[in-house]
Amino acid sequence: MLQAEVEETIKRIQSQKGVQGIIIVNAEGIPIKSTLDNSSTVQYAGNVHQLLMKARGVVRDIDPQNDLTFLRVRSKKNEIMIAPGKEITDLD
Amino acid sequence: MFTDETLDLIGAESTWRKSHQQTQESRSCQTLPVHTAEAETQAKAVLDNSTQTQDQISQTLSLDQNICHFPGLLDFLHRAEDVVTKELVKNSKSHAFDGFEVNWEDQNESVSCMHRLQHVDAQERGLQVTSVSWNCTGSVIGCGFGRVDDGDWSNEKAYVCMWNLDRQKLNPKRPDVIIGVVTPVMCLCFHPLKPSVVAGGLYSGEVLVWDTSRSQDLILSQTGMSADTHREPVYRVSWVPGARRGEFTLLSAGSGGRVLLWTVDGAEAKLILSSGYALVQQQVPQSGAASKTPGITNIEVTSVALSPWDLDTFLVAVPPDGESVTLRAPVQFSFSTRGGPVHSVHFSPFHRNLFVNVGTDSLAHLHTVLQPRPLLSLRVSDSYTFGVRWSPTRPLVFAAATGQGLVQMFDLGRRSLRPVATIDQNTSGQPTYCLEFNPKHTNLMAVGNADGSVSIWQLSAELTEQGAKETAMLEQLANEVAD
Repeated sequence: MLQAEVEETIKRIQSQKGVQGIIIVNAEGIPIKSTLDNSSTVQYAGNVHQLLMKARGVVRDIDPQNDLTFLRVRSKKNEIMIAPGKEITDLD
Repeated sequence: MFTDETLDLIGAESTWRKSHQQTQESRSCQTLPVHTAEAETQAKAVLDNSTQTQDQISQTLSLDQNICHFPGLLDFLHRAEDVVTKELVKNSKSHAFDGFEVNWEDQNESVSCMHRLQHVDAQERGLQVTSVSWNCTGSVIGCGFGRVDDGDWSNEKAYVCMWNLDRQKLNPKRPDVIIGVVTPVMCLCFHPLKPSVVAGGLYSGEVLVWDTSRSQDLILSQTGMSADTHREPVYRVSWVPGARRGEFTLLSAGSGGRVLLWTVDGAEAKLILSSGYALVQQQVPQSGAASKTPGITNIEVTSVALSPWDLDTFLVAVPPDGESVTLRAPVQFSFSTRGGPVHSVHFSPFHRNLFVNVGTDSLAHLHTVLQPRPLLSLRVSDSYTFGVRWSPTRPLVFAAATGQGLVQMFDLGRRSLRPVATIDQNTSGQPTYCLEFNPKHTNLMAVGNADGSVSIWQLSAELTEQGAKETAMLEQLANEVAD
């Protein structure tokens, strides 16, 4: 039941326009679900986790009451959208 | 008369002993007294720690784990889905970044000729450059000398020359490595993994593999002449991935209609035939024009392109009815060009179905493997076109070498079908036979000319940097398959 709901949600996001893939990452930066191939998943998860921690550090450094809500990395060929969670991070 | 007498003692004093002693010297030295001090320490608290590497994630990545292992996942997804979906929708409608370009490096605005490499001996004898090839690290350019316009059997000695462009003392008039060959060289191909190994096909039908890291006898292996080998000029050699990772077999295609696969046996210095295909007119499925010559005739192969996507597929260019695609079984599909012999064929590195070919009909045809007729035909030059290559960095750009000594570069993203750049080889009208992009330094292009010179061009940033939507446009182009 829960499994089906999770799959549904992922499918809904994937069907949005322009989405190449979705990766869900846990608090340690280890991917737990992905719609991309293994090698890309590992590459994205490892790199983005570090970037996310750094970005969060920057925001809280400037204002300790503040916190990071969303991170977008735009490049020539595509864009990485990252939604952090309290416990788990989600990459798009 | 005789009396006793005692004389004084007469002696000769030794001179050497005294002088020896006089030349003696003595020295002595002594170190100053050494200062020492003593102290004691003792650690009060001790901490033990150890580390160990874990298995690589890629080996144990299992993404199909049961969701009950992650209790908070569903809640998080509920929260995150709204946020993410909102952002995605905003992004698809946003014009904020339209036309926004960032350049991290200095942009090279123009195309310039970096080197003009020549081999004086070959030029004096009027040999032409028939093929060029970059090695896998992108630092060495090799070229084969021969003749393209000679119809008769030729026993003229030729060369394979190599220049290392990363050396500071590069002398454009003197190659770093010169290999003498018995007959003209028709094609050349460096090994994809070993920077010093290169294979070449000769006019006599022989295929040789050289290893330039050896100090003597550069020939690593050769085919020799037998009933199984080519008897006609070999027009293309290419390294094909073999059964195991890192292993490569050599594919050679020649005029006799044979496409042969060889394995390199370094120990015996021989190339061993592992399999081959003979293209026979009867087996080629026709699409459109009926076959003109009855009976079994071997088809002349002028060019071969290997698909980088599908290891079993390769394209073979044959005159005059056009090309055919062959898989492990005999010929599967045939494409028509209607224009005469095809000189060069190249698969697109960005799309698995597209390839471009040029020949004697002064047009460049863009084909997809899904249909026999070309998708697009562009006018390249007023005479023959001898070589065509897709750019390794821009999906929509390809370059063609013409019989008038020009290299025309086309950008399929532009609306106009005229060339985006025309690079004149300065050969006073003599043809340009071959061109290759450097696999590592992707802004370099090597062009081989009939006057025996190889020009290395540095391309402008416009021609080498990929734009935002190029892959999508290429996909769109490929999908315009006529019904």
